[in-house]
Amino acid sequence: MSQNLVELIRRHHAVDAPSALEVLKQAVEDHGEVTDDDRRHAAELSGVPEAAVYGISTFYDDLLVRRGQRHVRVCTGTACFAATGDEHVREIEDTFGLKLGERSVDGSVSLVETVCLGFCHSSPAVRDGDTIDAGPDVIRRVADDRARPALEPAWRSLLATPVLTEPADWSGLRRALIELGPEALLAQVEAAKVRGRGGAGFPAGTKWKFTKAAKGDEKFIVANGDEGDPGSYIDKYLMEQTPNRLLEGLALAGFAVGARHGFVLTRSEYPLSKPALDLAIARAHADGWLGTDILGSGFDFDVTIVEGAGSYVVGEETALLACLQGLRGTVSARPPFPAERGVFNRPTVVNNVETLCNMSFIAASGADAYHALSPDSETAGSKLVCFNERFVRPTIYEVPFGISMRELCEDVAGGLKSGRAIKAIQLGGPLGGILPASKLDTAFDFDALAAEGCMVGHGSILAFDETTDMRAVATHLLRFGAHESCGKCFPCRIGLRRAYDEFASDAAVDRARFEQLLEALELGSLCAHGGGIPAPMRSLLRHFPDELGLT
Amino acid sequence: MSITVTVDGSELEIAEGTTVLEAANLADAWVPTLCFDERQAPFGACRVCLVAIESTPKPLPACTTPCRDGMVIDTHDATARRVATAVVELVLSELPTAPEPHTELGRIADRLEVTGSRWPGATHELGQDFRHPYLAFQHELCISCGRCVRACDEVQGAFALTATGRGFQSNVAAGLDAGFEDSSCVSCGACADTCPTDAITEITLLDGVAAQRPPRPRERGRRKRRPLASE
Repeated sequence: MSQNLVELIRRHHAVDAPSALEVLKQAVEDHGEVTDDDRRHAAELSGVPEAAVYGISTFYDDLLVRRGQRHVRVCTGTACFAATGDEHVREIEDTFGLKLGERSVDGSVSLVETVCLGFCHSSPAVRDGDTIDAGPDVIRRVADDRARPALEPAWRSLLATPVLTEPADWSGLRRALIELGPEALLAQVEAAKVRGRGGAGFPAGTKWKFTKAAKGDEKFIVANGDEGDPGSYIDKYLMEQTPNRLLEGLALAGFAVGARHGFVLTRSEYPLSKPALDLAIARAHADGWLGTDILGSGFDFDVTIVEGAGSYVVGEETALLACLQGLRGTVSARPPFPAERGVFNRPTVVNNVETLCNMSFIAASGADAYHALSPDSETAGSKLVCFNERFVRPTIYEVPFGISMRELCEDVAGGLKSGRAIKAIQLGGPLGGILPASKLDTAFDFDALAAEGCMVGHGSILAFDETTDMRAVATHLLRFGAHESCGKCFPCRIGLRRAYDEFASDAAVDRARFEQLLEALELGSLCAHGGGIPAPMRSLLRHFPDELGLT
Repeated sequence: MSITVTVDGSELEIAEGTTVLEAANLADAWVPTLCFDERQAPFGACRVCLVAIESTPKPLPACTTPCRDGMVIDTHDATARRVATAVVELVLSELPTAPEPHTELGRIADRLEVTGSRWPGATHELGQDFRHPYLAFQHELCISCGRCVRACDEVQGAFALTATGRGFQSNVAAGLDAGFEDSSCVSCGACADTCPTDAITEITLLDGVAAQRPPRPRERGRRKRRPLASE
């Protein structure tokens, strides 16, 4: 990330200038596309040079479209793929007589793909204008121009006393401000050993400690709400149904490390997240939980919500910071880590939404109570998991770590619909390994899953049934990987495209050459995107080699 | 304060804050690079400067890794070199023509003994722009190393260049992609000076015939595939 551009942006932000990305997003909302006049306007308002604005405008999916009067977005996420084998994409293309990415000649309709709308419990999903509809008959409803908002099933907790599925009441922040103080709060969070819930599993307390120790008076907290993993809708529920819990987590992080401002980066694929959080911020201000001198403690804290514009890799923390500041969402090499140089080049904590949502319980009840949430595991706390539409009872469940995958899939989610059999499970998103049905007795936990080449990741549990063609799964994942590569590092930028081309052709795939490519991706890539795709590919090579058309 | 590191068996004393690449250079050990230019901040994009560091599980990029006291660095590590070679082979696969021998890419490929690419598939589209009197774009030769963009930002402060697109479609542009003339370019030539592939060149240095020459298309297999949304 250019230090010069970030400094320019910091100075313009200080006088309330909008970011270039905000201006470009507004142009698309206003007249359906980004023109050179819009780019010049964005450069003028944001202070970012014209060339940089051009680069931003060619990076994000939302800015690349030419919208028709009716803009239809079809979800091509993995849950929708598992539900239809992409038949819903072909149907909607036939319905409008348009290919993905096209706009009708008269400008009345445009059709694009989007990954993912977070309605994986009811796949396939389509966003028609502002309405997200989902379910087996969604294409017919969209064809008849009678899309209706899809319902979201209630989440449930397996815990005796539910934590993450309940509304938050700010009791954690109250205790931190009145009883604990910042040092004791940080000590509790470190003792709780909260592992990051966004994929990497890095200890959150360590990030807080580094940021607290970093030099500088101005520090920031950033919630990573870019839950781009297709198949996951956990952070969506947390942001839209209990936004206070996230705001409380941000304030706790701010209090512990000495930051007075927090940001949440939400996804444009979740159009309800930003409004829900903005409303919660307004209420928190009215109730005295955000603002200046909270509870008379002298602690000031406020939160700003920023919405992205369509990019999976923005979920990586350095790319997230670039997007938050309105730049191209490409990954930067670390060091420097965000704890040292983050938003506006200032020390910054970046935590996943669910990670921050754990903090109110820890602040209110302490580290020991947090460890007790998962009595059968070394891992502390509870985890939200979500299931795809193939299951009988697909929704989000709060579960303890250490529970078996079989218990989760068969007892909790009820097995698959219509008596279908589980062929394989992909856990934790597109960078997570794939667990064959024969391994369902594996425990749902960081180390046990890692031993099977899998990960907890974001917590999505996505079943492929016995009808699924595993070469099609490989092709689906590689297509996503190649499309979403940010283009910064060479192995990912070129290698994922080559891997996709190999699998998308009808020809046999040269296994030895493919494995060399996986090594280059895994060891060479700058971030977990290129570095992570080999995990599901290796699972497929290990468990389903006969279905991949290898030579 | 100084620290001690070992590069390929030789100990050397270096200043704290020195990168592994700088230490390797001080020890006269060859580490290939494509996105690195010593006039610019390390970028960490090309991944061909991978080296092995004792007690780390996988190779690390030399350019962005700071030295620690007692670090043992191996620039000949077989795994690191195998990955670097695979990456250079991927780079050759995206270009419509083999790199010219005088370019940095050509020299690195030669030294790593990468003579071509086993990867069929799309190459970058022809995008030649000779409108500017001194600077020429050949976008099809761009490998997105970011050196020109950083030269314009960090060295010249003109901010006339940007990375564009994403993934395989990544490239560079001046201004609003209307060429150097319609941008804040001050014709300093820092971009052409740092470019490792001739994607940006100073026209006066170009053989006039070569500049007009159509590229030599490489034989490519035709494959049926669903296009990516970014195409």
